[in-house]
Amino acid sequence: MPSSMTEGRIARLKRAVQSARPTVCAERALIWTSYHRRVANRFKSPHIRMAEALAQVLDQKTIAIHPDELIVGNYTSKRVGGSIYPELHGVPVMLDLFRFSRRKTNPLDISARDRYRLLGIIPYWSLRFMPLKAYASPWQKVRFVTNQLRAHFYLINESGGIAHLAPDYEKLITVGTGGIVAEAGAHLSQTLADDQTRQFYEAVIVIAKALARFGDRYAALAREMAGQCEDQTRKRELEAISQICGTCLRRGAGSFRGALQAVFLAQIAINLESLDNAICPGRMDQYLWSFYQKDVEQGKLTREVARELIAAFCIKMSEIIPVFSKHLIDFHGGMFNGQVVTVGGMDREGKDATNELSYLFLEVMDALRMRQPNFHARMHEGSPDAYQRAINTVLAGGANSPALYNDEVIVETMRRQGYTVEDARDYTAVGCVEPVCQGKSFASTDAALFNTPLVLELALNRGRRFGSPVRTGTATEPVSRMRSMADVTRAFEVQLKTMLGRMITDLRAVEISNRHHHPTPLTSMLLDGCLASGWCSTAGGAAYNFSGIQCVGPVDTGDALYAIERAVFTDRRYSLAQLVDLLKRDIYDPSAEAYLRGIEKFGNDCEAADRWTRYVVDAFVDCLSAFSANTRGGPYTAGLYSVTAHEFFGRVTGALPHGRRKGQAFASGIAPLNGMDRCGPTALLNSVNRMDFTRTANGINLNLKFDPHTLRGTTGVTALGSLVKTYFRRGGMQVQVNVLDPAILKQARDNPDLYPHLLVRVSGYSAYFNDLSPDMKDEIIRRSTQQPTLG
Amino acid sequence: MKDPNQPDKDALIFNIQRFCLHDGPGIRTTLFFKGCPLHCAWCQNPESIDPKPEMAFIAERCRGCFQCADACEADAIIRSEEKRIDHSRCTACGRCAEVCPSGGLTLVGRRWTVDTLVAEVLKDRDFFVDSGGGITLSGGEPMLQGRFLEVFLPAVKEHGIHVNLETCGCYQWEQIEPLLPFLDLIYFDLKHMDPTTHRHHTGVDNGRILDNFARLTRGAGTLVPRMPIVPGINDTEANVADTARFLLHHGHDTIHGLPYHGLGADKLRWINSPLRPLNLTSMDAEACRPVGRMFAKRGINAVIYD
Repeated sequence: MPSSMTEGRIARLKRAVQSARPTVCAERALIWTSYHRRVANRFKSPHIRMAEALAQVLDQKTIAIHPDELIVGNYTSKRVGGSIYPELHGVPVMLDLFRFSRRKTNPLDISARDRYRLLGIIPYWSLRFMPLKAYASPWQKVRFVTNQLRAHFYLINESGGIAHLAPDYEKLITVGTGGIVAEAGAHLSQTLADDQTRQFYEAVIVIAKALARFGDRYAALAREMAGQCEDQTRKRELEAISQICGTCLRRGAGSFRGALQAVFLAQIAINLESLDNAICPGRMDQYLWSFYQKDVEQGKLTREVARELIAAFCIKMSEIIPVFSKHLIDFHGGMFNGQVVTVGGMDREGKDATNELSYLFLEVMDALRMRQPNFHARMHEGSPDAYQRAINTVLAGGANSPALYNDEVIVETMRRQGYTVEDARDYTAVGCVEPVCQGKSFASTDAALFNTPLVLELALNRGRRFGSPVRTGTATEPVSRMRSMADVTRAFEVQLKTMLGRMITDLRAVEISNRHHHPTPLTSMLLDGCLASGWCSTAGGAAYNFSGIQCVGPVDTGDALYAIERAVFTDRRYSLAQLVDLLKRDIYDPSAEAYLRGIEKFGNDCEAADRWTRYVVDAFVDCLSAFSANTRGGPYTAGLYSVTAHEFFGRVTGALPHGRRKGQAFASGIAPLNGMDRCGPTALLNSVNRMDFTRTANGINLNLKFDPHTLRGTTGVTALGSLVKTYFRRGGMQVQVNVLDPAILKQARDNPDLYPHLLVRVSGYSAYFNDLSPDMKDEIIRRSTQQPTLG
Repeated sequence: MKDPNQPDKDALIFNIQRFCLHDGPGIRTTLFFKGCPLHCAWCQNPESIDPKPEMAFIAERCRGCFQCADACEADAIIRSEEKRIDHSRCTACGRCAEVCPSGGLTLVGRRWTVDTLVAEVLKDRDFFVDSGGGITLSGGEPMLQGRFLEVFLPAVKEHGIHVNLETCGCYQWEQIEPLLPFLDLIYFDLKHMDPTTHRHHTGVDNGRILDNFARLTRGAGTLVPRMPIVPGINDTEANVADTARFLLHHGHDTIHGLPYHGLGADKLRWINSPLRPLNLTSMDAEACRPVGRMFAKRGINAVIYD
């Protein structure tokens, strides 16, 4: 196949997907509802209900094969579309039914017919959706739902479904659904009494068969289209699609192309089951490698064709978008659903596992630069120079992807959490940045987001929010009696424990509710441990179980504490009471604001300031690990990434002592405050390296920002490589490199039509600039603009 | 009076820039020493010329609160739109900058002792090691504070750090000679070959500069000649020919060319500088290509920065 034609096809596919308007599709919600409305189904066990409802969706949903496609499959009935999950967070999302197309951020098309039909199912679900099932008492129901909608202290994402996993696709493409049905059948025949377990195995068999039928539907469609196709080349392509789709799921993939096809169809089905968030193909260069090798050896595949197939696969991933309400976009902006593809790194024995496919994925990523999949690259001491250079070149060129992961630190972190060394070495990130073991972890890595700076506000005001007469937290010492930083931190820790405790109570209720009302047999059959134990993943059947809690705003909290130390206890410029009074009045005095802002901040290699951010993270991790295991039997782990929640949490939090005024956004992830890292990337990395990331097992997000001028030429590429190497050698966990041209960003903000597909990294992921809220756009512009300085 | 035989305890430095990629190999920390014997019309860092601390006023940032006026003990604050400092009275004590809430007033030039400066440059040592970088002494003219360097450089070298000196070459040979063992690399500026033109644009004759260049060439192999390429001033066929002849005569076949840009002129408004804006258009690597060709024709490889 000539390369020009390859480029032509991929370019056309990319254009078709990028020009398609993101649309809400009602199909899943409607089929789901029709299944659950049938009275006979209400008495079946939840496992069977889930499997049969999903089977019905897969059997009945609209399917299509678009022109030029080599890898087929449709997540929705639209080219680029999202589904509604009425039994999960769908009811609050449907509050936006009339706003989807008109809202400023992430507008979504929706047809009048779909809108009408969705309106019709709201009454059925409005008393049956997940957050309402978490608590039995009506008062608690109302409290929890209201809390979720306000989300000042925390947001429990798990009440909208769990997802966030890297399925065992290696198993699927090796033994196929046939193998899984046989395995479940064997277990079933040995299971005598236990109802739950029986139902689970039965559900797995139902859904495994339905998944194979889903492939058959495409085989039939392709056969039919081939029959009517005039163009002989396309006819042969359709015949190949038909042959592959008919077998790749049931009997195992058999070929490289079959494997890609099977993974994509399974990807659709799992998204439709558990939630369209962070279902990750993971280490594709590893589990596809044997197929690639075999096909190349037998002369059935060339590097060029493999590249085209990978590109076709990646473009399909961008067709899947999440449907969020405006409220949820505040936390998860950018129409991003975190389907991670990870390349490189070490294998289970600790040897370097980089292969030709790792490079192919990098090439495709750089050529496409689309919003999905979310590309991650693993690095370790033994990563080949060529691999590192390829990545650095791509990054310095402004691709803003892949995000980089340090094997040495992550493997050690995971081992401390209870992973075997081999499983830890087989990690992939899911969602934004969270490391899990491919095919073995059910980690609910985005279980909840926690507003840490707000806890400091409580600590400085005896458990009350500024300006509120109501006590939200615990009654701690009044500031007038605090005589040292130890008094301040004691109050902070008490409030942190109180609020984290409340969050964990809510989260546990949601976990149980998910286990009882929303089991996930399809997900479970592709997670090691579930079939062997006979337990669904939502009940703790997987080999590894965790819940990830994100500490949002650690840097703001740390800088605030340092500002208190300086202003009150070192410089003695204010008493603590005076300082708090200033905060309650939103730092009305400009000279006070200038003084407070002038105090050193995290990210400038100032040890005295940096240690407070470390303190906050340590306090958070200590407090979190004091809670016993989650209801699936795994620990709660801390993450340092904020998606876009730092913006929303900032909006609801009062003024803070480091000169941040009421309502301003927090710093993202573990990055310094916007515009406050004034000493360049080496100083920033020195600050970040003062943290102990082996404690933050749910991953961190560090954005390293450059203007394109800095990283120009080979000098820039080499320097970037050195920066990353040094940062990793000293214990860095993750980093993503943003190369931004502020001028282009400003133009894009003022004329959205000028740059419709400008990709920026937001927090562990890439999003189109136009999909971001005006506030986020401004933040991205702000963080990329440097002021002229003397010297 | 300072005893001229005693090494200086501290240095006057107006900026320390970390993560510099174009002042020598690898990732470097560049120290900008204040004070320069030349005052080139095209100077990119005009605040580097005066060998004393000075106050800068950035009018755009001023909010007009005049807390500076209360803080100033020398009564040097002027209440006008464009100007804030009466330089005839200002002692550059920096008190006004301390109270300024908007960063409109800045003290240019701070004193660093050997110990604090060594500690500062060691912060990025890990990055130097991995990238093959180090520190670059720039300015201004670092050699004006040679007595400080006599103490500072041995202290830095104890930690095995690579040192590059960026110099205009205008000082007595006796000043640089004792420092040579501590310098791994020298970037030496050749601004113009003609003594009269050189004096016209930089204020000094180039005799001593060329003499020092010749001596340094004989001393070590790590001398890199550089030339700021200023349109219409030194990019002429005649000057390039003279420069090339001079280089060949001293056994050099490479020169680094720095395209002129007008960003330095922006800063003139902020300080009390004798320089006037040149109002030339900024150059880039593309615009400097003819100069590169002129050098190439005469057997000199010109590496133009972009």
